[in-house]
Amino acid sequence: MASSPVARATGRVAVPVLGLFWLAVTTVPFLFMVMTSFKSQQESFSSSVWALPEALDLVNYNDVLSGPFLTYFKNSVMVVVISVLLIMLISSMAAFAFARMRFRFNEAIFGLIVAGMIVPIHITLVPIYLMTRQLGLYDSQFALIGPYVATSLPISVFILTEFMRQIPKELEEAARLDGCGPFAIFFKVFLPLSGPGLSTIAIYNGIMLWNEFIFAYVLTSSTGTRTLPLAIWDYQGQYTANIPAILTVVTLTSLPLVVAYAFGQEKIVKGMMAGSLKG
Amino acid sequence: MTKITLSGVNKSFGANFPVIRGVDLTIDDGEFCVFLGPSGCGKSTLLRMVAGLETAYTGQIQIGDRVVDKVEPADREVAMVFQNYALYPHMTVYDNMAFGLRQAKTAKDEIERRVKEAARILQIEPLLDRMPKALSGGQRQRVAIGRAIVRQPKVFLFDEPLSNLDAALRVHMRSEIATLHRNFPAASMIYVTHDQTEAMALADKIVLLHAGKDMLKHGSIAQVGKPLDLYHRPRNLFVAGFLGSPTMNFLEASFVAQEPAGARVVLKGGEEIVVPVDGSALASGAPVTLGVRPEHLAPVAAPGAQTLTRKVSAVEHFGEYSFVYLDGGTPAPLIAKVPGDGGVKAGDSATYQAPADCCHLFDADGLALNHI
Ligand SMILES: Nc1ncnc2c1ncn2[C@@H]1O[C@H](COP(=O)(O)OP(=O)(O)OP(=O)(O)O)[C@@H](O)[C@H]1O
Ligand SMILES: [Mg+2]
Repeated sequence: MASSPVARATGRVAVPVLGLFWLAVTTVPFLFMVMTSFKSQQESFSSSVWALPEALDLVNYNDVLSGPFLTYFKNSVMVVVISVLLIMLISSMAAFAFARMRFRFNEAIFGLIVAGMIVPIHITLVPIYLMTRQLGLYDSQFALIGPYVATSLPISVFILTEFMRQIPKELEEAARLDGCGPFAIFFKVFLPLSGPGLSTIAIYNGIMLWNEFIFAYVLTSSTGTRTLPLAIWDYQGQYTANIPAILTVVTLTSLPLVVAYAFGQEKIVKGMMAGSLKG
Repeated sequence: MTKITLSGVNKSFGANFPVIRGVDLTIDDGEFCVFLGPSGCGKSTLLRMVAGLETAYTGQIQIGDRVVDKVEPADREVAMVFQNYALYPHMTVYDNMAFGLRQAKTAKDEIERRVKEAARILQIEPLLDRMPKALSGGQRQRVAIGRAIVRQPKVFLFDEPLSNLDAALRVHMRSEIATLHRNFPAASMIYVTHDQTEAMALADKIVLLHAGKDMLKHGSIAQVGKPLDLYHRPRNLFVAGFLGSPTMNFLEASFVAQEPAGARVVLKGGEEIVVPVDGSALASGAPVTLGVRPEHLAPVAAPGAQTLTRKVSAVEHFGEYSFVYLDGGTPAPLIAKVPGDGGVKAGDSATYQAPADCCHLFDADGLALNHI
């Protein structure tokens, strides 16, 4: 972009300022959450919201961790891992077919699947609830996997199809000459080369599903089957809420994502960009 | 037996976009055959049909004694080298070369033996552990060739393998491909290029393909033959104009009479030239085109038999030889390629002799008249 010196100078100031502003917007709630998780219930009411905790009090953590938190955690991990693996497998196979195979109605079916992105999940809640009951899966962790996979597929298929369209046709042809059938071409050439695309959908869906609330709320009801976003339920009564405990749960829930981001930052950013960059 | 036979092959993309028309062609055992032609004439398509990557054609393709129209690419005993190399980016050089053999469930030590052997021939042994992205263009090219060699195919297929290399490397790799052909005398090779120098240098047989209207009118094949046959005895105006650089000079002329020594024609400038061809089917005064290559126009001191005198419009010097541009060619200016500085300058009038043997005569349809 051509720009005058004035515009450039403004940009040099405005960009960091906007960046700092956004940093504040995103960190302040986070700080609030972490700080409050170290306060006692008493302290959280009496002191200022922005006051630092009086002591590094681990009572809330002790409390939460000795409750059913770990069960929720285990359920979340199981549901999210199984769902994400299924999403990766199914969407990559579908993407390969849409990107590379010629069959009737290829484009029409692809269009229909992608159109699934615009269906709000809320209108599917009641039918899914009824179906889940009829299948006898209600109030089990497996009740969540089906809806999670189904609602994540449209965007995943879309991203991976675009990704696989970028893989040169000659690689597929070289593989055919090397004796590969469609399955070998998929597993030995396309899947390994789709790494960045796969990590994009794994990260994206992993975060979405880790935080997913509404299906978990509707399809599970007991402590043994619920996932982390529902854990805060335990600390809120009809008239009161144990705010520090709730924020401790939230802190612990976001911890795995924060740790994952800290260690895999570079990979994650690269993965998110994969759709826009070639190779 | 690795003779390759194409009979009555036609191919269209979609209902009304013909690309290949009426190809009948035999490539002999161990022959180096080059498909040559302008961009878009269907060279790659024809090659890919032999590889089995392009289906839905009419006609028949045979490799050895086997009709392969319904045979999978991997089972045709062919190996292909792609223009952009098509190395698997996620595999090392070794794995790239071993991949096809592993798919074929070849024994492990046999794979290792063959890959090492190919790497030795191509001098890429130190690169076996590298990933393709850590290789230069020339090295990638060698790996792509290595991947073909290890499969010990009966037919090697090359689709413009050198076009992504710089000029110097291209000449070098060209000679390596010639060496490769000598090292595998039993395998036939089909090599696609639009570069006539590569074709002349490598081919036992050139298949020159028509594009567009010519293809629709005369079929895909313009001419098949040894490189020098195409150079000395082009079958039509297209072949004559395609091979040779600078391209053959064409002059409008009209037929005068058939003489024992050949057909006498008269040029627009009034000069009479005798071309040793059989023009007995032509009527007197019939329009013809005289063709003579720039390198065959020899400077002479004075007008005489078989000479042209024209005004020099420009001279280009290359040290060893010069191009002299003369007024009066059709459609481009006449060019004479002469040794040294040519001894003339722009504005001079110069005389050149066209030796009878080196003249070509084309009828109104552009077909060459047979030499006698
Ligand atoms: N898959 C396809 N679908 C439709 N048309 C195609 C397809 N592949 C090739 N063509 C067309 O067929 C014609 C021949 O293509 P081909 O690639 O064989 O040409 P080529 O002689 O190899 O040219 P080049 O020297 O540019 O590589 C071209 O006009 C091309 O546009
Ligand atoms: Mg081509």
